Amino acid sequence: MTKMSILKRALICAVCIALCVVLPMAFHSIPDAGSILSPMHIPALLCGLVCGPWFGLLCGLAGPLLSSQLTGMPMMAYLPPMMVELAVYGLVAGLMMQFVRTKKSLADVVISMIVAMLVGRIVAGAAKALIFAAGEFTMAMWISSYFVAMIPGIIMHLVAVPALYYALEKAHLIPRRYPKA
Amino acid sequence: MNRSMTGQYVQKDSVLHKMDARAKLLCFILLLVVMLKAKTVFSYGLAAVTLVAVCALSKLSFSALTSTLSRMTTFLIVIFLMNALFFSTQEAIWKWGIFTLSREGIVQGLHVVAHVVLVLVLSNLLTCTTTPIELTTALEVLLKPLKVFRIPVEMIALVLSVALSFIPTLLQEADTIRKAQIARGARFESRNLIEKARSFLPLILPIFLCAFRRADELSLAMEARGYRGAAKRTKKAKIPLKKSDLLALGICSCICAVQFFL
Repeated sequence: MTKMSILKRALICAVCIALCVVLPMAFHSIPDAGSILSPMHIPALLCGLVCGPWFGLLCGLAGPLLSSQLTGMPMMAYLPPMMVELAVYGLVAGLMMQFVRTKKSLADVVISMIVAMLVGRIVAGAAKALIFAAGEFTMAMWISSYFVAMIPGIIMHLVAVPALYYALEKAHLIPRRYPKA
Repeated sequence: MNRSMTGQYVQKDSVLHKMDARAKLLCFILLLVVMLKAKTVFSYGLAAVTLVAVCALSKLSFSALTSTLSRMTTFLIVIFLMNALFFSTQEAIWKWGIFTLSREGIVQGLHVVAHVVLVLVLSNLLTCTTTPIELTTALEVLLKPLKVFRIPVEMIALVLSVALSFIPTLLQEADTIRKAQIARGARFESRNLIEKARSFLPLILPIFLCAFRRADELSLAMEARGYRGAAKRTKKAKIPLKKSDLLALGICSCICAVQFFL
């Protein structure tokens, strides 16, 4: 397998959107897991990394929207900033994967993820401060809600997403980024 | 886990179920404006009467229509109390420390709660009377103007319809995997955060592998059957809007126009 067809990328994007609905439901049966570990971020990031920026963007926008409509999570009040955050995650993760080439796929994934998570949080914070909660959202609130409270989630994402990428490559479900000579 | 899904299609023989999904989606947008534009007693009256009439037409049970609301009771109470106690410091009815209960705050809280309730019931109506496939096909038609900006509308519709059809299957698989991991000794209930985080990897890894395998198999099957991109797909029949759909659209437009004057 050298390159994925657009149909396969579209279908992977579709399952990632479905996972945006399924994962929080699976996690919410575990006490406090949804709010601390943000499981919905994982499919959005992975979709960007595997399918590219535009499918990542679509997954980030449609995932939370469908989940909110079908399960009530996230609640309406949190939905717009979350859509912005996840859309930027998917978009930036996909863009970074196109430009970062360290010859080690896991290093590419981690670098792309860190940049995507940082840019996503900055854009979501800016959107909240300027649009969704204009005048009420302060710098301290941004740092506490997007970084301090999310530390366990950030660590889990940084562990889980590269592990998933590696497992998918090993299972030949996605093409190897650097095929063995 | 399946029981926690709300707003799923409920099969009934009603006017709303028979309505064309394109017209239904447009009516939904118009009625959404009616619900959100409500500010005075009369405008709330119009919104409520319209919603009750549409609910009656749908023949859906009360529990199906309010399933989302029952899970959001705490959220609605918190929103109301936040507005009632913090919205205004003037004309206080009751004051204690940082809390100021004001008439303005109570009114604002009631406005927010009423808007959320109206919109939630309306969205439930749409999803309970329209199958996901109908909804995505309607979305594809209504988004067609975006093609001017080179947005692949057909591809987006395909992705959404596949995503919707995958949700029940993946939910079932996730539940099976969770139970299997509990049987193997996974400690999801542990209060230790590190232990809890460590127990997630054996849960999400098989779920993702399963989901990606399904996507792989489906793409192979579609390509083998000659699928060559969503843009080249043709429809079996082009169904025009019926008179009843146009009438519904006309009524919703009139209600929306009246709401702007109230």
